[in-house]
Amino acid sequence: MDNIKKLPDSVNKKGGIMLILGVIILLVAFVFEPQRAFFDYLWIYMFLVSIGVGSLALVGLEYLVGATWSTPFRRITEILASITPVLIILVIPLFFGLHDLFHWTHHEVVESDKILQSKSPYLNVEFFSIRTAFCLLLWLVFFFFMTRNSQKQDLDGDVTYTKRNITLSTVFTPFFVITITVTAVDWMMSLEPHWFSTIYGVYYFAGTVVASFAATTIAAVLLKQGGYLDPRIKNDSFYSLGTMMFGFNVFWAYIGFSQYLLIWYADLPEETFWLIHRWEGSWKFVSIALLFVHFIIPFLVLVGRRAKTNIGLLKIMAPWMLFAHALDLYWLIFPTYFKEGAGFSWPELSFPLIVIGLTMILFKVLSDKKNLIPVKDPKLQAGLEFHL
Amino acid sequence: MSLDATFTREIPLLEGKSSFKEIDDVIAKPVESKPTIKWWIAIGISSTALLIGAVCLGLTFWYGIGLWGNNQPVGWAFDIINFVFWIGIGHAGTLISAILFLFRQKWRTGIARFAEAMTIFAVMTAGLFPAIHTGRPWLDGYLLPYPNQHNLWVNFTSPLLWDVFAVSTYFTVSFVFWYVGLIPDLATLRDRTTSGIKKFVYTIFSLGWRGSNRHWQHYERVYLILAGLSTPLVLSVHTIVSFDFAVSVIPGWHTTIFPPYFVAGAIFSGFGMVSTVLIIVRKVFDMEHIITVNTLEKMNKILLATGTMVGYAYGMEFFIAWYSGNPVEQFAFINRAFGPYAWAYWIMISCNVLFPQLFWFKKIRRNIPITFVIVILVNVGMWFERFVIIVTSLHRDYLPTSWAMYYPTMYDIGILLGSFGLFFTLIILFARTLPVVSMAELKAVTENAQPKIHHNGSE
Repeated sequence: MDNIKKLPDSVNKKGGIMLILGVIILLVAFVFEPQRAFFDYLWIYMFLVSIGVGSLALVGLEYLVGATWSTPFRRITEILASITPVLIILVIPLFFGLHDLFHWTHHEVVESDKILQSKSPYLNVEFFSIRTAFCLLLWLVFFFFMTRNSQKQDLDGDVTYTKRNITLSTVFTPFFVITITVTAVDWMMSLEPHWFSTIYGVYYFAGTVVASFAATTIAAVLLKQGGYLDPRIKNDSFYSLGTMMFGFNVFWAYIGFSQYLLIWYADLPEETFWLIHRWEGSWKFVSIALLFVHFIIPFLVLVGRRAKTNIGLLKIMAPWMLFAHALDLYWLIFPTYFKEGAGFSWPELSFPLIVIGLTMILFKVLSDKKNLIPVKDPKLQAGLEFHL
Repeated sequence: MSLDATFTREIPLLEGKSSFKEIDDVIAKPVESKPTIKWWIAIGISSTALLIGAVCLGLTFWYGIGLWGNNQPVGWAFDIINFVFWIGIGHAGTLISAILFLFRQKWRTGIARFAEAMTIFAVMTAGLFPAIHTGRPWLDGYLLPYPNQHNLWVNFTSPLLWDVFAVSTYFTVSFVFWYVGLIPDLATLRDRTTSGIKKFVYTIFSLGWRGSNRHWQHYERVYLILAGLSTPLVLSVHTIVSFDFAVSVIPGWHTTIFPPYFVAGAIFSGFGMVSTVLIIVRKVFDMEHIITVNTLEKMNKILLATGTMVGYAYGMEFFIAWYSGNPVEQFAFINRAFGPYAWAYWIMISCNVLFPQLFWFKKIRRNIPITFVIVILVNVGMWFERFVIIVTSLHRDYLPTSWAMYYPTMYDIGILLGSFGLFFTLIILFARTLPVVSMAELKAVTENAQPKIHHNGSE
């Protein structure tokens, strides 16, 4: 295709400014409040894991279940998944902050704490690092091969690439669930090392899937409105994106509710303290806001069929869901730092700046090199013809 | 058979070309012909089992539930195990008819009717157990909250009561869903039958269906709405069942992953049972071209996925029990795996997690005899899962002085046998009185049914 419209250079420029600004804010925060800065940075990292690895899982899911409606959007999801290799660099600074982030890294604390001692075969820096490295490498390997196959197909349309990716994604899916659980337990649940919940991995998993669908949706909507996508992609194709976002959001609420109800009902002090921390001072309002922002409002807005084919509405609701996921992660991470009540100030501004800036640059750089739809994918025609 | 080069062509649901009449003939044959000797043997066996159960139940009513093996501390045993087991079986039907419908999975057509019927019968069977477990089933009316002279109310904060609501809602919606789907087929039977009585009955229950355009429009709309309503029900019922256990503070019961874990397990066991029955049905009724190997292969994939999810939950429970650092919690799980009921635990692990892993291989997924063996193992494994959760968590609780072993009595086993008898008797009766595959839906997915010409006239 020769008449491809390229994304304007201003995307790079705007993204770059945001990214640099975000990094500067974060660096200044490191100087004045290093511990807080590490929490901010963890927030950014976990959000990027959600979007990046979650998108990789969505790419895999398409191959695994043989979906066709999503094929025209798959390249967008692949570009979002290319956050994955960046994570390997992004994770490094976090290792300098383990002491600030995780209570269980303090030897003197562990020595006087029986429960932490019993957990130390799992919660120790060496094993923790090995697990993180394992997860990152695994994601990188699958990302590399899956996107390479997809991209090579653009040249010759060979179906063996699809076959290979079906095999790869079949293997990847169980690994995805396990690694995302490990990541959730290690990087977020162990912030409160005494606390435990068996559903925690599923909870984070649900959030990542919602966030990645939302990220694909907003990117697709913006590209569509800018005229960068194939005009044959019609509103009906967006229906399924909206439905999946809606469906998994209900799933997220179900998981969150299950966790809350069971802990509240049993009322065991070894579990309830985690929820009590999220009810301390102004955290109360964050907790209530999470319920409305993440579940009730999107549920009511997106429940109808027309809402999901309404691109204008999706343009609002997709970023809304991304915001909701950011709020969710904030709710999971920050009560360990802001003990008295929720806090938000200039250091936290680094979060939106870095996340959005980085994604914009990745999009610009990669969309210049790749086609924005998988032009020779055997399933593309069926995907373009999709109608309700 | 594999996909074509575009990976998009749907595998034809019907193998070979069948005309609409041939479809009707094959599906309506069991309904319109006299029962065969095989059918009499089958119903003989299942009703005998039912009768054994009825006798054991009668004796239980007469003498009280002291006849059962329940003791202190194992206050819940076979009765609740059977309840959870049968409720779980009931989940495949709604998943197939509601969730797979919303996911636009056409392969569900061949199996949806049967699975829905199994849902209804399984829920009926399950409903018996809490009713008899109360010990005084003649007082069960009080489970329903209504204003009464005694000013006696149910405990609204108990998940056991939520069960009453969840299960009755589930039964009602599943039943309506099933019945609505049957209407066009009942009309077909009405038009085909020559017997006056049958004609009369079919006429009443087909509600004046004439197959007009408007009828179909209403039908499709109701079907979509009911599918939407049923979808949360697939999750809610077993979630509430899991709450029965998880809201308590018993180690091994109280863990937050229970709701999704129970739902995955329920779908897993439901598909296991549906596969078990369908493999027999397709053979007996010559429906191998309707309930195809491709359909069974897809069901096997769902079994693999849900079995692995259940495995994830087992692993997570075990890991967090250790990670919690709580010695009571740790003991409960060590006792499960290595205590006196370790055999039950390892039956559960191997049947639910290990054997389904064989479905990673396409050859095994498409091999009917091996599939049959594995799905039977799934049924066994899922029954033992509930045994493990209930009995092993209770038999050694906080106070070692009150530890005890649980041994079922012949009445427990008789009632369990009777529940299978009831379920299969209902299934066998269903197979002779109503079409086991939806004729109307099946016609819609044959190759002849799809318009070949587009609106703009192009082919």
